[in-house]
Amino acid sequence: MEEVRIGVYICHCGSNIAGTVDVAQVSQYAGTLDSVVIARDYKFMCSEPGQEMIGRDIKELGLNRVIVASCSPHMHEPTFRRVCEEAGLNRYSFQMANIREHCSWVTEDHEKATEKAQALVQAAVRRVFYHEPLEIREVPVNSNTLIVGGGIAGIQAALEIADSYHKVYLVEREPSIGGHMIQLDKTFPTLDCSACILTPKMSQVGSHPYIELLSYSEVEEVSGYVGSFKAKIRKKARYVDEEKCTGCGLCQEKCPWKVTSEFDMGLGQRKVIYTPFPQAVPNVPVIDRQNCAYFQKGKCRACEKFCEAGAIDFEQEDKLVEVEVGNIIVATGFQTFDPSIATQYGYGKFDNVITGLQFERLCNATGPTGGNIQLKDGSIPRSVALVHCIGSRDENYHDYCSRVCCMYALKHSHLIKEKTNSMVYQIFTDIRCFGKDYEDFYQRLVKEGVNFVRGKVQQVTSANGKEADQGRLIITAEDPDNSKVTQVPADMVVLCAAIESQQDANEVAHILSISRKADGFFLERHPKLDPVATMTEGIYVVGCCQGPKDIPDTVSQASAAAARVLALISKGKVEIEAATSIIDEEKCSGCRICEFLCPYGAISFIEDKEVCRVNEALCKGCGTCAAACPSGAITSKHFTTEQIMAEIEGVLV
Amino acid sequence: MNLELTQQIRDQARGLLKSGTVKGVIGYERASDGLTARPFFAYELTGTDQLIFDETCSHNLVKYLLDKKGEKMAVVVKPCDSLAINLLLNEEQIKREMVFIIGVSCTGVVETAWNQKSQTLQARCQTCRLPKPVVYDFLAEQEPIRRLEGELYPDILEMEAKPIASRREFWHEQFGRCIRCYACRQICPGCYCPECFAEQLSPLWVGIRIALGENELWQTNRTLHLAGRCTGCNECERACPMDIPLSLLNRKLEKEMEELFSFRAGLTSEEQPPFATFRKEEKLGFEE
Repeated sequence: MEEVRIGVYICHCGSNIAGTVDVAQVSQYAGTLDSVVIARDYKFMCSEPGQEMIGRDIKELGLNRVIVASCSPHMHEPTFRRVCEEAGLNRYSFQMANIREHCSWVTEDHEKATEKAQALVQAAVRRVFYHEPLEIREVPVNSNTLIVGGGIAGIQAALEIADSYHKVYLVEREPSIGGHMIQLDKTFPTLDCSACILTPKMSQVGSHPYIELLSYSEVEEVSGYVGSFKAKIRKKARYVDEEKCTGCGLCQEKCPWKVTSEFDMGLGQRKVIYTPFPQAVPNVPVIDRQNCAYFQKGKCRACEKFCEAGAIDFEQEDKLVEVEVGNIIVATGFQTFDPSIATQYGYGKFDNVITGLQFERLCNATGPTGGNIQLKDGSIPRSVALVHCIGSRDENYHDYCSRVCCMYALKHSHLIKEKTNSMVYQIFTDIRCFGKDYEDFYQRLVKEGVNFVRGKVQQVTSANGKEADQGRLIITAEDPDNSKVTQVPADMVVLCAAIESQQDANEVAHILSISRKADGFFLERHPKLDPVATMTEGIYVVGCCQGPKDIPDTVSQASAAAARVLALISKGKVEIEAATSIIDEEKCSGCRICEFLCPYGAISFIEDKEVCRVNEALCKGCGTCAAACPSGAITSKHFTTEQIMAEIEGVLV
Repeated sequence: MNLELTQQIRDQARGLLKSGTVKGVIGYERASDGLTARPFFAYELTGTDQLIFDETCSHNLVKYLLDKKGEKMAVVVKPCDSLAINLLLNEEQIKREMVFIIGVSCTGVVETAWNQKSQTLQARCQTCRLPKPVVYDFLAEQEPIRRLEGELYPDILEMEAKPIASRREFWHEQFGRCIRCYACRQICPGCYCPECFAEQLSPLWVGIRIALGENELWQTNRTLHLAGRCTGCNECERACPMDIPLSLLNRKLEKEMEELFSFRAGLTSEEQPPFATFRKEEKLGFEE
């Protein structure tokens, strides 16, 4: 075996480490340890001169192991591994000791911090002694992409990728793509008609030669890894043949059965065979089996009789489609907070207390009132109150700010002013207009004569105190600064309900092996520097499933994810984990515990030898198998027993 | 000798050998002390007359199946032994089609020693809740079928109630006597690793020295490797030449598995033991 020559580099991290840890002492101590050839400390190891110092030492002193004692490996392990590689070492010759998060940041005791830093350095020195070079392997990237969710986020990402001549499978669980954006009336602050700017994109998706749209479908299972995922998608039965249907709409006209429209947020009605809205893509209706007279009672089939194309197919069944893709973009969107849970707001009790999204439909020309802002009884409201932060910034529901409510409340105010002579009250705790041109919009609304009332709403009551009264409402609000209570009279109350993570976000997270934050939204790799990727390589999160955001932010994030996917496609190959597991077949008893535990399906059983074997292309090196193997037959490379034992000894000695 | 059961076993064995269904039958015969029983392998028709069954048939014969993987064997199993069959099926160590199971509806076995037979049932039989095997191809039955109710773990509860220092003292005394002959491992149907951790040299998990520290490490590891897998046949304790009360360890874990996961090893061959499964929805207790 060649002589082990270790270089140890202690980082000051400005004063982050050096402020607590005596770096000179740690460096001096490291110099006394076995096999350590050189130990230095430096202000910022990750800086250009710091990196050059390591590279120079590797060459001039013949180092074959490198330790940097600095921050968490999360950020800079790749940096220093690259430095090692550029100087001709295998990247696995490197070891990082975390003396910042694990040491200097968690104590103010200089002496103990220094002592711990020394122990961590010693552990790294002992461990790195046993490091072995590992072979870096690459696998090709499948150029197809799966996008889950056909709202604006999914649509944008799909178009960007497909326009580069790469195939996209766009999966949408509703009958049409469009998401929440297609429900909106106008968009802030420019007051563009939401449908007018979105429908061209939707129809592009519908006819794009590189996009395969799987509407009314859900992803059921995802396996594989970056570059080659396999996804099982359930295409739910529409009971309408997509090939034959011409989208003439006659079936919808003739269907005698009406139910509440989800698209109109319960304000309007739709037929049982329906497209959710006129510009639906694909323009193919679905039969709502739960409410269809034929499915429930065995009679009717009116749609079938009138369909000239013969497209109605009551025998249709769900279909499972399997696709192979290299990358997956998750754009599953959000749901809005149900304000009926918070009974003080009177939602569900008073007819004229509605949500912001219901107001969008009320205001929209294709909506249930043809765009007239009116009360339940058809009369025009004399005063409308918009209540902010319903379920957001509220410790009882969601701590976070939903980010869009202030702006859409302003937009709603403008529309009310434009369409009626109504008084408009904004009842807010803070107005947050952070985006480009948003402040101008706010100033404009101030000039338009909207009344801004600062206060947290305590309750919404009927003006005459009677529960059942559907007339005038009184909003009682308390100013958080001086506890002054204000009462605002209104005919209509619009609740700006929070954006929250989808009800089934947890299942989606499981299917895709991605994480969620405590607030329910999907977790990005890094909140600032990588808000698009997830901890699972090849899977990206965009739009409101990652956190509340407005349309411009969603579009930017979707484009960013598309760029990431295209980068990987154009590179054509991806490095896969080298620190995989191996099974010693001599020791394996073939109990197959590892096979069942492996979260990546990387282990298979060799029948004739009655032992298990690891598929290194699938193995992510998580180590679950090595920990579970009762015979101790499995070794995780780069986490061998020898290495771990040496590291533990190093900390303890 | 229980004539009723013995006759049923002999008839079945004869039929199986005659038809060539199995290569041999693993059962019990009378030991040379003329009083107790010992394992017996019948490969010839004539051998079947030596097969017996009675209250001295303590051995768990399932262990022998691990050495007979290539040929189809019949094996005589008591209800408690049958749990080990499911364990080995679940862990892919035996194939169902390679075993013919002659189940026996047992009424309990007694403590035996050479040329000695006690009148009282073994402690584990006193709390046994299995009237008949959980898996079998043929069942040798007798009336009445016995099923016991009552406290399953009186000794464990008593042990748990003791202060930690006195428990440590107790076990140090016990482990201090262990000679690491590994008889407990050799007889255990759940111990089948080709190379036991106790004999691995790189890394050396357990020192070779026979001393309290090493002995303790061996015994605790052996017990933990059987967590959720021990089927309670108690052969280890019977085989121990130093009379170490291993059932106290094994059944403590059995109790924990029951309380934590409502799991008892060997009841089915399908359900994975809790420690061999990973469910994402499982709460581990350290989440935020």
